Amino acid sequence: MKRKKLTRRELLAASAGMTAGLAIGFAVPHVVIAENDRWGDLVGRLVYDGTPPERKKLKVDKDVDCCGKFDIRDESLMVGPDQGLANVYVYVRTRKVPIAPELAESAPKQVVLDNRDCIFKPHCMAIWYPRQEYAIINSDPIAQNVAFSPLGDTPANIILAPVKEGQDDPNTRAVWRFNRAQIVPVPIACNYHPWESAFVLPRDNPYVAISGLDGTFRMARLPVGKLEFQVWQERVGYLDLPQWPKGRFELAIQPGVNDLGTIRVPAARFERK
Amino acid sequence: MRWVAAIRMAWGDPAACSARRTGCWPLHRPAYWAGLVAIAFVLFSGCVAYQPPQFELNLEGRPKGSVSREQADAVAQMLQRLFGTPDEPRVPEGSGLDLELLAMAAGPPTGDPQGSVRGLFRRHCATCHGISGDGAGPTALVLDPYPRDFRRGIFKYTSTKAGIKPLKSDLRRTLIRGVPGTAMPSFAQLAPRELDALVEYVKYLSIRGETELYLFEQVVDEEIRLPLDKQMVLDEGVLPVARAWEAPEEHPQLRIVPGARPPIDTPAQLAASIAKGRALYASKEAQCVKCHGPNGDGKGEEQELYDDWNKPKRGVTPEQTAELARRFKLPLQRLRPRDFRQGTFRGGIGPEGRDLYNRIYAGIKGTPMPGVGPNPGAEAVISPEDIWHIVDYVLSLSRRNP
Repeated sequence: MKRKKLTRRELLAASAGMTAGLAIGFAVPHVVIAENDRWGDLVGRLVYDGTPPERKKLKVDKDVDCCGKFDIRDESLMVGPDQGLANVYVYVRTRKVPIAPELAESAPKQVVLDNRDCIFKPHCMAIWYPRQEYAIINSDPIAQNVAFSPLGDTPANIILAPVKEGQDDPNTRAVWRFNRAQIVPVPIACNYHPWESAFVLPRDNPYVAISGLDGTFRMARLPVGKLEFQVWQERVGYLDLPQWPKGRFELAIQPGVNDLGTIRVPAARFERK
Repeated sequence: MRWVAAIRMAWGDPAACSARRTGCWPLHRPAYWAGLVAIAFVLFSGCVAYQPPQFELNLEGRPKGSVSREQADAVAQMLQRLFGTPDEPRVPEGSGLDLELLAMAAGPPTGDPQGSVRGLFRRHCATCHGISGDGAGPTALVLDPYPRDFRRGIFKYTSTKAGIKPLKSDLRRTLIRGVPGTAMPSFAQLAPRELDALVEYVKYLSIRGETELYLFEQVVDEEIRLPLDKQMVLDEGVLPVARAWEAPEEHPQLRIVPGARPPIDTPAQLAASIAKGRALYASKEAQCVKCHGPNGDGKGEEQELYDDWNKPKRGVTPEQTAELARRFKLPLQRLRPRDFRQGTFRGGIGPEGRDLYNRIYAGIKGTPMPGVGPNPGAEAVISPEDIWHIVDYVLSLSRRNP
């Protein structure tokens, strides 16, 4: 077969294509690097400085046949085996903060509040309300109630039907949407079981970290530059420390990992008057 | 002469004073005159000047000294700019409030021979609900339940779904019916336009109250930079609340439409409905017994109940509760689940028990009573037909027929 000679137009198109390909090949890593320059992570570890008090056993006097078998204890101050201070909210206080685009894709569509073993699980939650829904579910064989009243937003007082074995009942679930950011976490109660308690913080950005039982927290992909942060714990409210007046601190976020190191919180901060 | 000496003495001639030592009126001293003027001022000033009442700032729940003078002034001034004063209300742009109706309800109670009415709120409502609508008027302390505090924007007896603001017609119905079993009387004798004016004024105080909560959140808790930007307050504070009030008026799907009522025309049908209702009442799904008790006497296992207005007054420890008590005008008040046997239903019964249906369906807003109607994103916990059976059972407890 005779090979066809390339026309001038075809040559032009081919060279344009190659140039474009090369350009993209060169540019993409640069764009990625430039993107990485724009965002940084914040990490730290909160440590309870003192002997953790014994978690008080809560009075379980409703639905005792179901709930009586669980060891239900106060969760208002959670200290891990290595003195890690858990359930502390660290979040960005600066208004209208730029949001890393990939967080929109990686954030789960739902945040789940489960009624399981007669308590709310997890105890502390955060929700990026314009993007995330709040899935409220019941996993117990008794009816549960979930009630909260966020400031300036629709109040909720939801009944969840008891779970019956082998049945998928849509009444054991509800999906809630928040319409407004809150500046402190909203308490959640169950009107049937007064010992149950949890907190949810709806924000208009994904920059909320909640410390784990090892005391560590991580907030990924913060915009580089000066930001103000708020620290909150349910027993004390704003976690006021000498270096964090009113539980607030400012930090110039650098690309890469910004480590706050270990922050010791004196036990005296949590003493109940 | 004697009288010359008397005048001299009154005037307080220094020489006479020092000579007599007693009975000396030092009228020659400016301080003495200043004192007399001050006493006269105190005695007579209240008789002449009208002191227009002011809206009180909502500092409830905040520890003493936690709000600075500058912050309090910023909130008060912005509120006055947007909503005016109790004598001269103003209507913020986009709030949907009717200034003409508000003018009938605002101000001191007056009228004229032409029949125009003013000051309806102060004439009929402020004694209990307070000038600011804080539910802490002069009589509030001795009332149980306390008068409604309009500033949270929550109203108990509505025909709207859970979490939705009341319709204006709901507030109007409460005015006409009163709240049986409480100090709230019926205002059925008022002219229709006067009822409209009061409903509008309650809505006004409520939007104002929620805007105030927003302002305190921003100014005190969030410590945003002052002075406040009026447009921001309108966009973030006033308009979302105003839209929430308009939503059920505009969107019928936010109102409760009762399902078809099962027939109860014959005694046998009614008895069957009551029997079904009794079973549902005690069921794990509806959970009525938890608070209202197995006999419907309001003595269920759950007795430590508080409404949304009283919940913030409760601390974890008794000491905390005592400390919190100082931050509120009215002491902590417990909520008592209704004793159905008395047959007094605060939110009314409605035609065929329709109002009871609404409360079982959507719960009672601001209270622990949840609704059994559909949860967002789910179906109804109890079917509409079964809600009617519960209505029939509850009414049978008070020997009332629907």
